[in-house]
Amino acid sequence: MSITLDQVTKRYQGAPVVNDVSIDIGDGEFFVLLGPSGSGKSTLLRAIAGLTAVDHGRISLHGRDVTHISARKRDVGLVFQNYALFRHMTVADNIEFALRVRRMRAKARRERRRELLRLVALEGLDERLPAQLSGGQQQRVAVARALAHKPEVLLLDEPFGALDAKIREELRRTIRQVQRELGITTVLVTHDQEEAFALADRIGVMNLGRLLEIGRPVELYARPATRFVATFLGAANLLLARQTKGGILFGSVGVDAALADVAQSAREHEVVAVIRPEEIELAPTRAGLASNYLAAGVVEEVAFTGALERLRIRLSAGASEAQLARAPNSDHDALLEVTRSQHEQRAFGVTPGQKLAIGVRRIHVLPTPLSSFTAFAASAAQATELSVHPLLVELATRMKTRVTARVTETDGAVTGAAVIAATSDAVGQIEWLLKEGAEEVLVLPQGARPPQRVLIHWADEAARRTTLAVAASLLRHVAAEGIYVGILPDSTPDGQRPQGMRALLDARSEAQAMHGLEMRTELRFGEVAEELARRLAEAPDQILILGISASTGLATRFHALFGAELRWPVLVVYRAAEGRA
Amino acid sequence: MKPLRQPSVLPGFGLTFGFTTFFLSGIVLLPLAALVLMTASMSWHEFLHVILNPRAVGSYRLSFGASLLAASINLIFGFIIAWTLVRYEFPGRKIIDALIDMPFALPTAVSGIALTTVFAQNGWIGRYLEPLGIKVAYTWIGVTVALTLIGMPFVVRSVQPALQEVQRDLEDAAETLGAGRLYVFRRIILPTVLPALLTGFTLAFARAVGEYGSVIFISGNLPMKTEITPLLIVIRLEEFDYHGAAALGFVMLVISFVMLLTINLLQAWGRRRLVATGR
Repeated sequence: MSITLDQVTKRYQGAPVVNDVSIDIGDGEFFVLLGPSGSGKSTLLRAIAGLTAVDHGRISLHGRDVTHISARKRDVGLVFQNYALFRHMTVADNIEFALRVRRMRAKARRERRRELLRLVALEGLDERLPAQLSGGQQQRVAVARALAHKPEVLLLDEPFGALDAKIREELRRTIRQVQRELGITTVLVTHDQEEAFALADRIGVMNLGRLLEIGRPVELYARPATRFVATFLGAANLLLARQTKGGILFGSVGVDAALADVAQSAREHEVVAVIRPEEIELAPTRAGLASNYLAAGVVEEVAFTGALERLRIRLSAGASEAQLARAPNSDHDALLEVTRSQHEQRAFGVTPGQKLAIGVRRIHVLPTPLSSFTAFAASAAQATELSVHPLLVELATRMKTRVTARVTETDGAVTGAAVIAATSDAVGQIEWLLKEGAEEVLVLPQGARPPQRVLIHWADEAARRTTLAVAASLLRHVAAEGIYVGILPDSTPDGQRPQGMRALLDARSEAQAMHGLEMRTELRFGEVAEELARRLAEAPDQILILGISASTGLATRFHALFGAELRWPVLVVYRAAEGRA
Repeated sequence: MKPLRQPSVLPGFGLTFGFTTFFLSGIVLLPLAALVLMTASMSWHEFLHVILNPRAVGSYRLSFGASLLAASINLIFGFIIAWTLVRYEFPGRKIIDALIDMPFALPTAVSGIALTTVFAQNGWIGRYLEPLGIKVAYTWIGVTVALTLIGMPFVVRSVQPALQEVQRDLEDAAETLGAGRLYVFRRIILPTVLPALLTGFTLAFARAVGEYGSVIFISGNLPMKTEITPLLIVIRLEEFDYHGAAALGFVMLVISFVMLLTINLLQAWGRRRLVATGR
C-alpha cells in the first residue's frame, strides 16, 4: 500500500474535523477525496503531507510510519489551489527549488527541469516569472515543482478551483496523463463530483469529518450506501418505500424486486429508495410505459440544457402513494427530478401542466436504517411541537429525511423511527410503540442539542447488528465521535475480564467491516443502566443508542435510565431475537 | 473625432497634476528653495568654513550615524514585532498593536524626557546599567535609543501588511519541497517582504535624521560628542547666524536626499524584479 491511514483524527477546539478516517491507497492509484467544503478533506490531505499534526491515528507512506515525521522529510509533492508559486523566482527557480534544497548539481538540475517542463507542456518558459503566466500555466508549474524531487506521493488540493471551465478540463487531462506516465500514487481533493468521476480510480466521499464511503466511481454512483453519497454524487430522488418479500412497495404500487438491487430480507420494513433522474420514464398513460409503473404526476417545470432536458414533476396526491423521503421544507423538495435525452424528448414531448404516468427503470435501495421520523404525542398539537424539536429537525435535515407528526393510540402501522418526548411515561410509550411495530424509538428531552458523542451499547446480543447499523447511519450524519460502551457485571471474576475486552474489540472490527464505521471503545464494570446513566452524565451533548431484543419490562430492567424523567436523548433500537419474531 | 475619454474617479489628469504641482511647490519646494537661496548668498569660503567646522562635522557624524544605527536596529526588531503581531494570536495582541503607534502620537519632548528619566544614572534602567559601565543618557547611545523609539512604528507598520500577504501556503509548499525553516526564511519570506522592509527602514531613517525634540533631552548636547545637527542649527539660529543655519540645513538636505534616493532606486529595482509585468 502506498498510503495507509489508520483511524486518523484531527480536532480543532475539541470538535473533530477529521473523524476516525482509515483508508488504504494502492500503488499508482489515483484517489479522489470528495466532499463539500468543511468536510475535512483538505485537513486530511494536509495531514498526509505532514503540514497538520494529527491528534490520533497513524499515517504511513509506502510502509514507513510518518505520523511523527515532518513535512520536510515525508517526500511528498503538494499542489495548492492558489498555486503557491514563489513569485520572486523564475519558473526555472521554482521548479528547481526542491533540487537546490537537496544540493543537486546545476547540470543535473537543468536536465530534470527540462524533463518536467516537457511533462507539463511548458517548454521554453524557464525564465518567465509566475506573474507573466496565465493561471493554467502557473498551476502546471506548480505541478512540475511538486514532482521535481520525485516524491513518493502527489497530493493535489483543489488544483482546478481557481481556473475557468475550459482550462480546467485541459489541465485535468494533463494531470491524469502525467499521473499515468509516472505511475505515481496521487490523492486529489475536490468538491466537484464531475472532476472526481473524470479522474478517480477510486473516490472517498467525506462529510462532517467522516469518510462515508469508498468505491470506484461507477459503483458509488449506482450503489451508494448512504443518503448523503446518493445525493452528493449527482442528482437523486429519494423515496420512502416498504420492502416486502415480493419486492418494493411504493404505497400500494409494487416494483419488481429485479429492478432493485437489494438484499433479500424476510422482514417487512420501511426503506429509502434512490431513483436517479435518468432512470425515470415518462409516458402519457400507464399502459404506454415500457418500464415498471411508479406513480402519476403533473409536470411543473421543463428546462432545456442542451443534450438533456430537465423536468420537475409533482407526484399527484391520491393517484400515487409514493412519498418523497426528503422533508418537504421547500417546494422543490417535493418534486421528482427527471432528466431525458433528446431521443426521449422526440418520442414524447411534454409541457408544464401536463398529466402523465411515471415509470422507473432501476431502483437502488439504501441499506441504511432510520428511513424517516414520526413524532408521537398524546395530542396533535404536542406531536407537531415535538416534530420541530431542534435536535430532531437537525437530524432530519442532515439525514435528508422527513418528519411527520402523529397522535398516539391512532391506528396504522408505525413505520420508520418513532420519536417521543422524554416524559415520565416514556417507558410506557416505548413499549407501546415497539408492540405496534416500531423498530427505533428516539426519546427526546427538552433542550437536547446535537450530540458531540454517540454512546453505543446493546444490552442483548440479538440486537447487535441492528444497533451497529443504526449507529453507523447516525454517525455518518452528525459530527460526533462514536463510543462503544461495553459493560460487565461488577462480579465478573478477573479471569473473564479479558473476554469482555475481546467482545469490545470484536464489536469495533465488526463496525469497521460492515459499515466502515470507526468507533472508540470503553469497558466499564457495574449494573448496565446505572453505568450508562453515569456515562451520560459525564459530559454534555451526548446521545445513547441502546439496543434491546425484549420489548417489555424496560422500566425494571433499565431502572437507572428510565426510572426518572430522561435527561439525555436515547435512541432505543429493538430487534427481536431470532425465532421469536 | 475625439476619442472617447476613459472615465476616472477623480476629475481629469490636468486638474490633479496641477494640484500636485501646486501643492508640492507651495509646501515643499518653495521653503527648500528659500533654504538654497539663503545658502547661495554666502561666499564659498564662508560656506565651507561653516559646514566643515569640526563641531559641524562631529554633529553630522552623530546625526547620520545614530540615525543609520537606529534604523538598522528598527529593521531587525521592527520585523520581529511585526512578525509576532501578524503570525500569533495571543491575549493583549490588539493592545500591543495599538501601542506601536504611540511614538507617533506622543510629543517628542515627552518621549525624550521619559527616556532620560528611565536611562539616567539613577533611573529605573540606568541604575542597573551604571555598574556595568554602560552610560546611556547623555551619550551617543542615548541618542540612538531616542531615535530607535521614534522610528520603530515606521518599520512595523510598513512590514505588517507585507507579512500578512506572505501566504502560509508558500511556506507550506517550501516545506513539502524539503526546505528547512532557515532556508524558507532566507529564500521565501525575506525576498517577499524586502521591499516593505526597505520602505520602513527609509522612513525610520528619514524621521531619525530630522528628529529634534526627543534627542535634546537625552543627549546632553555636548559639542563634538552628543550634539546632533538639527540642534546645532537651532543654536546657530539663536545666535542670529541665519546663514550658518541655512548652510547646515542645506548639507542635511543634500545628504538625506542622496541617501533616500539611493534607497528608493534600490527598492524600485527590487520591485521590478518581483512583479515584472504588473499583473
